[in-house]
Amino acid sequence: MRTLALLLLLGTAPAAAQLRVDINSGISQPLPIAIPDFPASEVVATEAGSTAELGKRVAEVISNDLRSSGLFRPISPAAFTTVVSVPDVTRPRFESWRTVAAQALVTGTVTANADGTIQLACYAYDVFAGEELTRQGFVTSAAGWRRAAHKCADLVYSRLTGESGYFDSRIVYISETGPRSKRIKRLAVMDQDGAGHRFLTSGQNLVLTPRFSPSQQQITYMSFEGNRPRVWLYTLGTARQEAIGQFQGMSFAPRFSPDGGSLVFSMAVNGNTDIYTLDISSKRLSRLTSQPGIETSPSYSPDGSKIVFESDRGGTQQLYVMNADGSGQSRISFGDGRAASPVWSPRGDLIAFTRFGAGRFGISLIRPDGGGERLLTNGYQDEGATWSPNGRVVMFQRSGRGGPPSLWSVDLSGQNERKLPTPLDGSDPAWSPLLP
Amino acid sequence: MALADTRLLPPAAPPAQEGRAVLLAGVAHVLLIAAASLGWHWAAKPLPPSNEPIPVEFVDIADVPRVSTPPEPSMEAAPQETSTPPEPEPLPVPDPVPEPEPKPEPKPKPEPKPLDTSTLSNLINKALPKAKQKPLDTSALAKSIQAAQPKNAVVDPRAAATLAQAIRAQVAPCWNPPIGGQDVRKMTVLIHAEFAPDGSLSVAPSVVSQTGTSGQNADYARAFAETARRAVLRCAPLKLPANLYSLWKSVDINFDPEAMT
Repeated sequence: MRTLALLLLLGTAPAAAQLRVDINSGISQPLPIAIPDFPASEVVATEAGSTAELGKRVAEVISNDLRSSGLFRPISPAAFTTVVSVPDVTRPRFESWRTVAAQALVTGTVTANADGTIQLACYAYDVFAGEELTRQGFVTSAAGWRRAAHKCADLVYSRLTGESGYFDSRIVYISETGPRSKRIKRLAVMDQDGAGHRFLTSGQNLVLTPRFSPSQQQITYMSFEGNRPRVWLYTLGTARQEAIGQFQGMSFAPRFSPDGGSLVFSMAVNGNTDIYTLDISSKRLSRLTSQPGIETSPSYSPDGSKIVFESDRGGTQQLYVMNADGSGQSRISFGDGRAASPVWSPRGDLIAFTRFGAGRFGISLIRPDGGGERLLTNGYQDEGATWSPNGRVVMFQRSGRGGPPSLWSVDLSGQNERKLPTPLDGSDPAWSPLLP
Repeated sequence: MALADTRLLPPAAPPAQEGRAVLLAGVAHVLLIAAASLGWHWAAKPLPPSNEPIPVEFVDIADVPRVSTPPEPSMEAAPQETSTPPEPEPLPVPDPVPEPEPKPEPKPKPEPKPLDTSTLSNLINKALPKAKQKPLDTSALAKSIQAAQPKNAVVDPRAAATLAQAIRAQVAPCWNPPIGGQDVRKMTVLIHAEFAPDGSLSVAPSVVSQTGTSGQNADYARAFAETARRAVLRCAPLKLPANLYSLWKSVDINFDPEAMT
């Protein structure tokens, strides 16, 4: 074919030869997608509402998820020219979706099973090609319908973008309320979209820096319980809380290792703050740094081989990377201002951190080798970054001038800044991995 | 419900001070009364423990969804739609196409580095004024192409380049590639499209070849290729000069997002 095209260009081919066209740019717009209410195979009451109601709410959750990514534009149901019935789910009327300019269609059914569970069947179609893209069924208790909807949204997101999803995930953060002098801070968890909000602690003790374990069964955080700032573990199923050890100095800034077997955190001993790891089962403590300055905010690379942390050993707070055993420490952040609170992307290719100086805080990104630094957000005070499970979105806390903090998210491109709904003020967010 | 609320209480693990214990007991009583007042119905169906995610099981689903009642016809199923064949025709069917031409057989050819007609045509393109996205005057286009074309149907490279420009101007605005991915910089896809004389597609566009793929990015590569195919599907029918149909009847379109990344 190429030969023919070449011949054509050389002017010796017959007129019927193959033409070749190069297109080097397109558009970058959210994909118009139709997500009609999911019909119920049979309208049955469940503990979370009738299957018909669930079908409507499932479509809303999926729409909100996809819209929030900034990559999809769910079409208003008011524009739809057809109501989806159960047979339409597997044989969509593509023509009517083309007329509303939908490029993709997400549909499915909600069915109540005899054992009290529900099944959400999720199908995605390419409207212009008239083809099925993917399908998956999800069985859960009726109360778990939101998770099933998030799973469906993740399925669609990953099929259409080629990247893993992040909607079926949770956020742990510090819920704050009260006057500045008497601030009440509580651990709280919620779904990634703000639903299912729960407080985990009462607010009696000041808590900071909560982080999920990879299995999401536990949260590690720092608490002033007993007026001793220490690293604690909260187990979600049992609501049990325990301090991780009776150490001599104050311990803080904890995170789990990627395998969940150990914690890395800072501990101040005799006025020197260094980074330590603690094997959770054997309780064996290892010291990774021994410089005179303050070494803190450690975060593992996703493969567990390296740790990024902040240190003031060079005079100002800057980022350093070391091997997981503490060897090979080298500085990666330079330039004006200070760098703090690094967190390694789940993809491994970037580190997000707080860049500050000259009265402003912003979230920046940098490669693990120190190259390619760029500012992602530039608010008055943006800090405390955390990554979505797929490494496409960064969440952080934003405070206005003297104002209370709230939780925001932004796309890796710096686009699509969104504020998360929280019942009270919010700070110090940490995103969970995708739920299993 | 009650179970959910009790988790708001302070942790049981650290030894509670006396005052706290009294408070705890008080709150527990209130909750107990509240729970009792909600009645047996609620007690019999407690919501699952609040803090742990509710399990979701993945299952295969069939071609035909489970239907426990006879399927009702869609409320708004228009009469003409009820007679729609099960698999809707994805493409508009061109009317009287005088072309029984069989599609060249599938071609997963090994990719020799394009030698390369596109570079050549790019060079030519750069010498030509940019066609903006304004509506095309196909007759003027045809005239200009024909003017550049010597007699006896020997095609001038400039004519081919101008036609390529016209196709590009119409298809590019329909292409919405996923440019957030890590692998987008190296990725291109070549789509083969065949057109009827009215500019509509005579067969579904197909992927000829793709670069920048690896074992790791197969999902991304598939999504990427589909955006290119979708661009051709969405932008059809193309408006191109009818008297040059033989030139654009069969076209290879190379999608490369280099200018976007």
